[in-house]
Amino acid sequence: MKKSPFSFIHVYLISLKNALSERMVYRGDFFISSVIALLFEFVVPMITLLIYSSGSSFPGWTMNEALLIQAIFLLAKGIAFPFFFGIVFNILILIREGSFDILLLKPRSILFLSIATAIDINSMGKLLGGIGFFVFIITRFPSIGPAQWAAFGGLFLLSLSVFFSFALFLSGTLFVWVGNSRMWEIFNTFTLFGMYPQSIYSQPVQILITTAIPVALLASLPASVLLGKEPVYLLPAGIVAGVLLCAGILFWHGMLRRYTSAGG
Amino acid sequence: MYFLRKAAIIFNTIKAVAFVTYKEWAAYRSHILVSLFTGPIYFLVQYFIWKAVYSGHEVINGFTFSQILTYFGLATIINYLIMDFADWNLQMLIRTGRFITYILRPLSHRLFAFSQKVGHRVLGFWLEFIPVYLLFFFVFGIRLIPAKPFWFIVSLILSYSIMFFINYCVGMFAFWLTRIFGVMEMFRIMRNLFAGVFIPLSFFPITIQKIFFFLPFQFIVYVPFRVFIGSYELAGITLSIPLVILFQAFMLGAVMLVAEIIWRFGIRRFTGVGA
Repeated sequence: MKKSPFSFIHVYLISLKNALSERMVYRGDFFISSVIALLFEFVVPMITLLIYSSGSSFPGWTMNEALLIQAIFLLAKGIAFPFFFGIVFNILILIREGSFDILLLKPRSILFLSIATAIDINSMGKLLGGIGFFVFIITRFPSIGPAQWAAFGGLFLLSLSVFFSFALFLSGTLFVWVGNSRMWEIFNTFTLFGMYPQSIYSQPVQILITTAIPVALLASLPASVLLGKEPVYLLPAGIVAGVLLCAGILFWHGMLRRYTSAGG
Repeated sequence: MYFLRKAAIIFNTIKAVAFVTYKEWAAYRSHILVSLFTGPIYFLVQYFIWKAVYSGHEVINGFTFSQILTYFGLATIINYLIMDFADWNLQMLIRTGRFITYILRPLSHRLFAFSQKVGHRVLGFWLEFIPVYLLFFFVFGIRLIPAKPFWFIVSLILSYSIMFFINYCVGMFAFWLTRIFGVMEMFRIMRNLFAGVFIPLSFFPITIQKIFFFLPFQFIVYVPFRVFIGSYELAGITLSIPLVILFQAFMLGAVMLVAEIIWRFGIRRFTGVGA
């Protein structure tokens, strides 16, 4: 039976409510975790601040421009982590315990359920921080026109789609690489490339981060467009993001077929 | 004679627990091997960041470009040697109530946890440290050879122990809070930031450097790095290497004392029920 979109929204909202109720049992830990999750995200901007205050810079980028990249990254992460990136941790736990079967029994898309049951309330701090940081930095650039905003909007959606693709690849891998909690480390290492201006990298690395693993789309390219800078490899990056999303969905379902229920 | 017998018992305990932990983690060696990928990639990002930052500059905050690369290379491999999960393990045992099985044993849980760390890091030594060291040496040309090898090894042992006791103290917060993921994360960030994992401490404003000087965190990464290059300087204070090692030893004593005090108060809160 085909389900209406409203039924999916209904299930998602119930999951959101459940996640919040569950987290409220340990309120103290919840508040500390939320604040800490946010503070952690400010480590990279703080490094940028220290670099610029020591009299150095990223060539061709002012401090506020560099911070804008990191604000966009935090904003995208602030949307991705609470609302769909929790799928990685969810799959990690469920597969390790062998309890992923419970989701398989339910009458909804398994990918949807894996996301809906993985809402990460702690990461709401990232979202609030991302919005606050972005608004704070963007007010330093009053002359951004509507066309730049429109282009930025499109690229920001692509940034979210890259986050989603990564979530699919990482969580899909966990169907066979059971219980590997170091998936975040892999993710954090790769995405670090996306938190700094693309121009600081060598030509081969720039090609790699736009046309192979498009981490430049996470923040660097949207920031370039917003600031009216000339973005490089924008079109290939956009195409790769679309291909990556399709490949991610296929990969995830392909790996799902290898699920054995055995735990690990 | 009594002390020798006692030392032999402790050594045998550490050996036995470390061996079991080694065997247990060897089953997940592919997880540990992730470091072969993440370590060099992280270093590569740092290379590009600092190459851009140093364009037009010879020295920034007392570091040349070559020294800053050595710093990040060393910070990466020091982390492989001293990495620790005592906080996570302890909070999990307290939260689930399984800690009761440990306090029934005729063995200090701190010694048990320390021995676990020994086993885990022996595995990390040849699966993470050696391959990444060789990669840095041959691929990136980072010659990680200490100026004063003896003092560097002493500093590393002290750093290893300070890291353990700090994490163990954090884990003991579970006696009060039960679930402490937030507290653990807070300390992890504080520890890494104040230890100089993200950026050398000399990049911070001088007032903050003065605060760092009195905290135990600088002794985890920043001090071993300074001992590695053979000179110590923070907040405008210059110390000889033996003196800074002495301070490091004092700091180890201080964190051990704090661990003992927290333990004495915390264990009274333990109910064995779990949550």
